[in-house]
Amino acid sequence: MKILLAEDEAELSRALKTIIEHEGFLVDLSSDGEEAESKAKENIYDCIILDIMMPKKNGIDVLRGIRSRGDRTPVLMLTAKAEIEDRVEGLDSGADDYLTKPFAMKELLARIRSMTRRSASYNQKKLSFGNACLDMEIFELKSINSIRLANKEAELLSYLVQNRSKDCTEDELFEHIWNGNEEIDQGIVWVYVSYLKKKLQAVKADSEITGDRKGPYKLILR
Amino acid sequence: MIDIYGGQRDSLEYVMKELEEGIRSFGESPEDKDRALYEHLLCRVKSEESMIEKCERKGLAAEPYSALRVITDAIGIRIVTGFLDDVYACRDGIERLPGVKIYKEKDYIKNVKPNGYRSYHMILDIAADAVDIDGKKPGRFFAEVQIRTIAMDSWAALEHKIKYKKGLKNVELITAELKRCADEMASTDVSMQTIRDLITGK
Repeated sequence: MKILLAEDEAELSRALKTIIEHEGFLVDLSSDGEEAESKAKENIYDCIILDIMMPKKNGIDVLRGIRSRGDRTPVLMLTAKAEIEDRVEGLDSGADDYLTKPFAMKELLARIRSMTRRSASYNQKKLSFGNACLDMEIFELKSINSIRLANKEAELLSYLVQNRSKDCTEDELFEHIWNGNEEIDQGIVWVYVSYLKKKLQAVKADSEITGDRKGPYKLILR
Repeated sequence: MIDIYGGQRDSLEYVMKELEEGIRSFGESPEDKDRALYEHLLCRVKSEESMIEKCERKGLAAEPYSALRVITDAIGIRIVTGFLDDVYACRDGIERLPGVKIYKEKDYIKNVKPNGYRSYHMILDIAADAVDIDGKKPGRFFAEVQIRTIAMDSWAALEHKIKYKKGLKNVELITAELKRCADEMASTDVSMQTIRDLITGK
């Protein structure tokens, strides 16, 4: 599991990184809003922690940018105690949770665990991308034509849509869609990507999955 | 009964046999059955009764000109393939047959009908070594070809049965469910093609 931590106080940021990594997560650090935004755009995270008061771009604007791209990664906001308006604005802009400073380390870790748990079962019912729509309730992929997907195909496509324009490695996809099941050959990822490549063509979607055997794969608009 | 084909029945049978042989020549390989482009090849000349009925249904005079120059499916051929790509390979094979021109074609696989129907349709304009209704030789004949996969074909067979079943309740529900089946079968067709491509390293 990978976490993006955007916090401009260097000392606090280093301490948090050490403690969170001790819990078994990987942590990427950003010291300002712009850096956080570009990292969130390029990489896939299981959770993003945003401080509201940051140089260059505040946490709420970074969050709005993330959500406007259709990225549903869980976001935890860090706010100062007096900033009630910030908390409301943050939640209304798509944050999943907040924590007021100063906070207890124990509580932060529990909230990270809670959010990453939720993201595993998080599924938007209808995902639109370009001229296509994926209905996760009935596993229908629809554009000019429509087609019904198999369970894992739908999950894989949903993941690629939610992380569109980002490189998704074969390891990440296997981990998230097949839960890293050791009884399954990881080559399954390429087989399912191949199905989806052709099925996107079959419905005449204006998007495609790039990447060859072994990945990384990426969903892009043509 | 009126002679709806105006004495052309034998010519139609002859042209159909020629076309069938042409299709067999590129579609089947006697040495290796796995390399065949299709599983089934079906041919028929429309029965006189059906042709008269079709003329009437379309508001045309029941006469040879309607049957052979306005209506184009006096000769009908259906090719049923195992795989999706083979549909297009058959289409290309037909295009290359001598004396055969594509008069019209419609790809209902890429442009699926709203009810879920998928198939590749061609109307052929054939110059054949037979006298046509204008007394010309080589004569001009039309033939309709439907090319589709086994999955598409079995779907069409069931849909056809349901369409003509009278007094059916829940028509909307059944239509929607049939559409879902068509979309699931189409999905399987794409998966099977993908698996074949992965095996053959295409």
